[in-house]
Amino acid sequence: MNLQRINLKIFLEEWQVSPEDIFKIFNRWISETSDEVLVDVADYSHVHAGPITLLVGHDANYCIDNTGGELGLLYARKQPLEGNLSARLRSIFARALNACRRLELEPDLAGQIKFSGSEFLLVANDRLSTAATEDLDKILAADIDTLMQDLFKGAAFTATKNTATRPTLHIKTEAKFDLATLLENLAVN
Amino acid sequence: MSQALNWKEHLGSRIPEDLGRDIDIFEAQIQLRKEDKLEEKLFAETRLRRGVYGQRYDNGQRFDGTQTQILDFASDTPTKGPDTAWDAPGMQRIKIPFGGLNPDQMDVLADLADEYSDEICHITTRQDVQLHFVHIHDTPDLMRRLAAVGITTQEACGNSVRNVTACPLSGVCRTETFDVTPYAQACSKFLLGHPDAQDFGRKFKIAFSGCKQEACGLTNMHDMGAIAAVRQIDGIEKRGFELYVGGGLGAVPHEAKLFDEFLPVEELLPTAQAIARVFARLGEKANRARARIKFLIAKLGIEEFRQLVLEERTKLPHDPAWTAYLNELDAHDEEALKPGQALNGRVLPDGFEDWYKTNVYHQIQPGYVVATIALPLGDLTSTQLRALAALCRRYVKDTIRATVEQNIALRWVSESDLPELYTELVHLGLHQSGAGTIVDVTACPGTDTCKLGIASSRGLAAELRTRLAEKSMQFDQSIKDLRIKISGCFNSCGQHHVADMGFYGISRKVSGFTVPHFQVVLGGQWSENAGSFGLPMAAIPSKRIPDVVTCLTDSYIQGRAKEESFQEYFQRIGKREVKTMLEEFTRVPAYDADASFYSDWGDPREFTTGDMGKGECAGEVVPLIHFELAACEREAFEAQIHLDEGSYEAAYKTSYNAMLHAAKALVKTQFLDIPEDPDLIIQEFRTRFFDTELFWDTYAKDKFARYLFRAHETEVSEYTRDLAHSLAEEAGLFIEAAYRCFDGMSTSAASS
Repeated sequence: MNLQRINLKIFLEEWQVSPEDIFKIFNRWISETSDEVLVDVADYSHVHAGPITLLVGHDANYCIDNTGGELGLLYARKQPLEGNLSARLRSIFARALNACRRLELEPDLAGQIKFSGSEFLLVANDRLSTAATEDLDKILAADIDTLMQDLFKGAAFTATKNTATRPTLHIKTEAKFDLATLLENLAVN
Repeated sequence: MSQALNWKEHLGSRIPEDLGRDIDIFEAQIQLRKEDKLEEKLFAETRLRRGVYGQRYDNGQRFDGTQTQILDFASDTPTKGPDTAWDAPGMQRIKIPFGGLNPDQMDVLADLADEYSDEICHITTRQDVQLHFVHIHDTPDLMRRLAAVGITTQEACGNSVRNVTACPLSGVCRTETFDVTPYAQACSKFLLGHPDAQDFGRKFKIAFSGCKQEACGLTNMHDMGAIAAVRQIDGIEKRGFELYVGGGLGAVPHEAKLFDEFLPVEELLPTAQAIARVFARLGEKANRARARIKFLIAKLGIEEFRQLVLEERTKLPHDPAWTAYLNELDAHDEEALKPGQALNGRVLPDGFEDWYKTNVYHQIQPGYVVATIALPLGDLTSTQLRALAALCRRYVKDTIRATVEQNIALRWVSESDLPELYTELVHLGLHQSGAGTIVDVTACPGTDTCKLGIASSRGLAAELRTRLAEKSMQFDQSIKDLRIKISGCFNSCGQHHVADMGFYGISRKVSGFTVPHFQVVLGGQWSENAGSFGLPMAAIPSKRIPDVVTCLTDSYIQGRAKEESFQEYFQRIGKREVKTMLEEFTRVPAYDADASFYSDWGDPREFTTGDMGKGECAGEVVPLIHFELAACEREAFEAQIHLDEGSYEAAYKTSYNAMLHAAKALVKTQFLDIPEDPDLIIQEFRTRFFDTELFWDTYAKDKFARYLFRAHETEVSEYTRDLAHSLAEEAGLFIEAAYRCFDGMSTSAASS
């Protein structure tokens, strides 16, 4: 399947940061980032349980997001990636994890922000590509399984499917990982 | 299950043929432009006519608080229009005629926000929906998915008939003359793509209202406004409209003129067609700033304009569509999902009573209410919109309206369902009370996404909303129903002219920094279909506006006479008193003392450091021209006093002098000994600032300079209120432009 629009949410474990602080950091990233085009920052802190601070990019958006009352960084891929679905998923995980790691390492946020390395929400954000349910099953059965084996180094995980509005997979492992380890695991495999 | 390759194939016959064909054409034009086989300006108008707008920073430049960054959009692709990078995300405006929505459409809008935008749907002040950060290559599929649920983006922008708006209560209103919904819908359908409405110099906005005394459709500020009316003719009650033309906000607002006291409904569409023809034929085309129909009517006078339209009407070949819809009016009658029952005896959830007081309107139909979902800044998430659609399916039928106050109204709710509905809205975070009150601040996109925005209208609106909501329950009843409306610039998309307290974004240079400010506009009237327009009072730093709101409302509460309205109170105490009252808020502390003044609400970037000139000494140097322009502001203010006093000639002449002196102040920066002679001042200003384009605005171009030239050249035979009011507005804008011009020159000088 040619699923390209894929969102990945990495949940926050600790968060003591104001939207204004994130706005400033995202604003700085626009000028500091050289490997992708970042365009603008939008403040949506006035809406309930949704995007809070959005960094708009050409290839993807990065958003501190509170949809469902669950805080995290949402990476929303917009432009096509090369390779098969497995490669694309791997790339999306790497990009999202890198963004989270970058936030954790921001000096101004030291000790105020920590992402979970054990829980993710994957969203197939393309209702045309996912119109057939067996496609999602395909993702479940093959690509995600392989990717998670690499990412979690064989630790057991669950992947709960939900197709209420968009096909989503809630991936969770009981094992504990930090972001650096996950990125290392991705790079090695 | 087989999988479709694309949305066109997937949706198939669900896309109406005519809309599908138009979207195919647009998709082909995108491809042609990509291959550089379609001219840039032509493509720009093509996409605008389909609601595909540019957005801030699409020229590839963004100020990050310290310097202007170049956004590295691919340079090998063509542009989408002048200075508009192909890869830059833009805004998609979606027309929702009379704001009418059904749950299926809401679902699709939510899906589109998920997939092509940023998971936010924005309701505009003209009942449209806007999605932001949309890539142009996604727009054809976006349009197909809308078309499949009966929505088009055709003529959402561009020089065309824009969304036809109507009172969101029409059909259920207790005071309306009759339901204008089917007429608004027929008008929208009739003029969409009509050959006589394709050659305008500017946009054309139409509004319908069921009654005259309420705000309803805001007909007074529209190019064409129709207010429901009935008349007894030969013993039979006939429906018609009190028809107005030539209203509009924009930089210089014009109140609409009465075209016909009673236009029979049969004549509505042919008259609209005739108006469109006259506007297309005689309206200004070359000078965009003077191309709205209000300028044509001001030039011709309403009598001559009416005569031309009536003559045109007689020439129109008969069109069965003029009246065909009148035989199907019953088809528009709405139905309720449930029997209407009163609230009596129901257990009420916490918070319900406050919400009920402000967000619930009792329909004329017993047992039914309109429940208004108050949206902060007109925004809701795709998750909320989808969940709201599901709620609608349980409580109402297809009876949902987007409102001009950027809310969503659910009509035909059985009153007995309200406690359950409210509880569900609480779960969705859509239960905010205060709809249609002082808390319900509306704003255009401003600097968040609009290319023309000067200050952050949404940032200020959010701040005011938060502060006002915190103490809304303690508010005196007299101020609860006041309206606050905010625009990011003088163009008035936030409708600041018709608010009790209006604000529009400007900037001021202070010690080398550019500081976000708002002009305070008082005297506007929301009721009676936007019955009167306010005028600017004072330029206030953005960060002091909340204090100004408190000051003005406190003054009104303490000083008002019994039954005296907000407008009447400030009219009575006079502009001089108000100006004095606001004086303390105009001061900007030094950057070192309080840097917060140097960034805008909701946007922590420093507004100014990149614009700083080279400091020459520790003391603050105020250039002479700032004193002179401040004197011009005082002169423009005096003009407003004359206007209030009914001295129209004095108001007009004082406004003219304010502009002339501002022009002279600029000329003096290059030619110190410029004489007092107005002709010489104009000549020098033209040579030094107009011909060189130094005075030209980035987007408005030569618009403000032409205010002065026209006033200088015009020999006025009769000084009317409208004329004096317009020139007072123009004087304010000219002086603002003079400030910007000088600041721009200073910046260029500093960086060279």
